[in-house]
Amino acid sequence: MLLLMQSIFWTIAGISSAPFALGGEAFMAGLALASMLFALGTCLCAIGLLWRRRWARTVVIALEVTCLLGSAVQLLLPIGFNRGLVSVLVNMAVPVAVLVLLRRGRELFS
Amino acid sequence: MFDIAPDHAIGLYTGLLALPFALLALRLRRSARTVPGTVLGASALMAVAGAIHLGLVWTHRDETITALLFVLNGVSYIVLSQFYTWRWWRPASVALITMTILGYLGYIVLNFDSPDQVAVATKLLELATLGLVLVPVRGETKRRRSRWSALGVALPLLTLVTVSVVWIDDLARPDALHVHAGAVLQATSDVATPEQVAAAQKLYDQTAAAIAPYRDWHAAWAAGYRPGPQNTPSTHWMNQRYVDAGYVMDPKHPQGLVYANSKHGPVLLGAMFQMKQIGQFGPDPGGPLTAWHQHQNICLTPFGFEFSLMTPTATCAIGAIDISVPPMLHVWIVDNPGGKFAVDIDPKVVKQIDQS
Repeated sequence: MLLLMQSIFWTIAGISSAPFALGGEAFMAGLALASMLFALGTCLCAIGLLWRRRWARTVVIALEVTCLLGSAVQLLLPIGFNRGLVSVLVNMAVPVAVLVLLRRGRELFS
Repeated sequence: MFDIAPDHAIGLYTGLLALPFALLALRLRRSARTVPGTVLGASALMAVAGAIHLGLVWTHRDETITALLFVLNGVSYIVLSQFYTWRWWRPASVALITMTILGYLGYIVLNFDSPDQVAVATKLLELATLGLVLVPVRGETKRRRSRWSALGVALPLLTLVTVSVVWIDDLARPDALHVHAGAVLQATSDVATPEQVAAAQKLYDQTAAAIAPYRDWHAAWAAGYRPGPQNTPSTHWMNQRYVDAGYVMDPKHPQGLVYANSKHGPVLLGAMFQMKQIGQFGPDPGGPLTAWHQHQNICLTPFGFEFSLMTPTATCAIGAIDISVPPMLHVWIVDNPGGKFAVDIDPKVVKQIDQS
């Protein structure tokens, strides 16, 4: 369910970048497409977790660790990364929650 | 949208305060041991959402209907958070959460409230609760398929609608300090005094005279100014030496110059002063006439140096990072309809220069 929400957030980010691509930002078109494909991949991983696939667990753990590290680096760098409540919830709390939920039960995945 | 409204802060405190009590209540109840984790999670989140709504009653006590709705909503959430063994708990919870989210969206569309961090976070909390309520539990065989279908359709749809409405409302009705998407103005007085008008004119005259030699872009290049990406009608040329030196609104050392990318080559439009630190606004001798602005919550991609806007859920497209740019003040030496110190140059002016 948390992965589904993350996938929706990335889909929205992808869709919202599309108008900038229409405005002449060529690379943004690629990033919009990449975001939507990434969201689709996350959704497939969520389905993989439901089917108790070990590969899905591995991919999701790698994905969440990458998200957490990325957010932590951006938080530490003086680049003005958003430190608001929603940002902390979405970029930190959700990945942590997914990792906590996946930390046990390795034996349940085949 | 990216700030916490003062009258909403109390909701955040009551919500955080309610979380340990909600967890304790689950721990103390014997029936909680036989209930799946998703249901317990939904129960705890509902208690937190209820506490947030009840907390907001105090700061909205002058708005009778809103306060009453907060009371009704908060109490309903807290009651339902404890009745998770009730037969109709799921339909009742789905109905309450959906009505609450749609009700809030109606409220902001009708301009009764503006979205802020507490509101958006509460909506995300409610959406997560909705997901937990809809997820079929282990061993459940009846209505499993329909529950998954409901989750797969309702959650994405409601999230998309919520984020879209919040975002559109925020962009369509920015507050007084948001000049356009992502740009926040320095807070100043509303009306300029005669002294401030004179000071603004002095700054303009000094800057226009100091940057006059840079009408020839070769002189700007020789002084250390370097252009950013030139795939847009106008380009900022930045002088890293002046940026690092930290000159504060020094007409002889503006950190940037703005050129129109015309078919005749770069045409000087104006200068840009920039502060060194994010959030550190510069002096505003002209009061509202010389208010600095800061671009924040923009998604920058190093590929082609392009921008988009961060979503209300604080997400950027993959490959872009959320940044804020230190405060800046433009001085336009061409006739800009928005003003000599406007945040942006009018695109029509740039087009006119290009076609001249």
